[in-house]
Amino acid sequence: MTRDTDATIRSDVSSAELLAAVTQFLKERAVPALTGRDQFNARVAANVLGIIDREQAIAPRLAELDDAAASKWLPTDSSPSHTAVDIARALANRKITIDDDFIQYLKARQLLVTAINNPRYPSRTIAEERWRGALEDD
Amino acid sequence: MSPEELKALLDSALPDHLRGTISGDHVSQLTRLSGGANNETWQLQWGDTPLILRRRPFSSNAVAELEGNILGLSLVDEAAVIRLASSTDVPVPKVHAVFDSTHPVGEAFLMGFIPGESIPQRWLVDEAFSGARHHLAYQCGEALARIHTIDCTQLPKTIGPTSLDRRFEAAQQRLHAFGDISPVMQFGLNWLIDHAPSDAPGVLLHGDFRTGNLLIDQQGLAGVLDWELTHQGPAEEDLGYLCTHVWRFGQLDKPVGGFGHYSDLIAGYESIAGWTPQLSAIRYWEIFAALSWGLVCQTMGALWHRGQGDVERAAVARRRSEAELDILLLIEEWDA
Repeated sequence: MTRDTDATIRSDVSSAELLAAVTQFLKERAVPALTGRDQFNARVAANVLGIIDREQAIAPRLAELDDAAASKWLPTDSSPSHTAVDIARALANRKITIDDDFIQYLKARQLLVTAINNPRYPSRTIAEERWRGALEDD
Repeated sequence: MSPEELKALLDSALPDHLRGTISGDHVSQLTRLSGGANNETWQLQWGDTPLILRRRPFSSNAVAELEGNILGLSLVDEAAVIRLASSTDVPVPKVHAVFDSTHPVGEAFLMGFIPGESIPQRWLVDEAFSGARHHLAYQCGEALARIHTIDCTQLPKTIGPTSLDRRFEAAQQRLHAFGDISPVMQFGLNWLIDHAPSDAPGVLLHGDFRTGNLLIDQQGLAGVLDWELTHQGPAEEDLGYLCTHVWRFGQLDKPVGGFGHYSDLIAGYESIAGWTPQLSAIRYWEIFAALSWGLVCQTMGALWHRGQGDVERAAVARRRSEAELDILLLIEEWDA
């Protein structure tokens, strides 16, 4: 018997697809079936799944940005997984000189973080328009 | 606590408080209103009279354990401030009953129901409120000026005077306590410290005077709600708080709460207070308000980790990133 690869039926489900399936259940079945606080929380839960979905897609770019920042502004023995914390603490101790380069890093980072958590936040549209040119030059 | 349990407790407790004031002998139509990550808000009927119950579903001690509690006053103190505010022309509900945390009902207070629209997504855009919106920034300026006239010596002892330096220290302690997870929050705090105005005499601030805490009718401002973040500080802080991005509900071209303009807010304030707040000071406090909102989001996350709160509270923790974005935008505008 020969195997027709074109006719393969896909049987795996990716994590992103699982999230989509649960989101669909929450929006189409759970929210209409619930009332009051539970209905409100079901809507929130569906939005939370969107955050997870976007974080899976965007996190590698965020890590790349933080790695580059660590090499510029942190001691060489810093742990890559703690870049944000180490930079925050260096700022608290006034160990980082604030210049255009550093501000550009914060802006680029924040555009990614808000793309994960709330891409439709109105200020983000302004920030994207205002910072896009500067970030592309970077 | 289930609605049935709460109704039974209120049926037992309220006659002593409402006798001779509001006719009725039991609670009906008890409904939890949505929203509110700290306190529950319930609507109910006592006889034919609609009332509102604010209730804290967890003990105040759990909140106080967090360094630099920014979730606000106890509901007992909040009720005391609302009673003080009712002595001015600021529209506030009448407080009918107060319960401390030892009462079976839990920490709570019962107040009158003010008719009006409380959902900003409706009154900010609905044509029926266009006239109300037109006057609202001026009215908010007037209301804030009146709140700022309240005699601070009459306040509960928990609402004492504080300095800006002490508030910076508290913010720094919270950032440390929450694990220093945000470079932008720290950058924002550093900037605020470096650009701090000199300490001015403190007045009583509402502390949470924003679009989502206003009740609007056809004439404009019908009620000022949610006094749990009341504290003492410079007058411009309340004005800047109302104008910060996160409370404009997407109407970024209308800096006063998404409905008005700075000039009207300042004119309304001046008409009552007799002095003119400076725009630069208001804008400084917008940045402070963005940082404060970020800290509230972090506090929500911390409380959720302690088992206090539901999925909404966990989700609010992620809204810190909105505050961070606004901090960067607002500082950029200031420097420009």
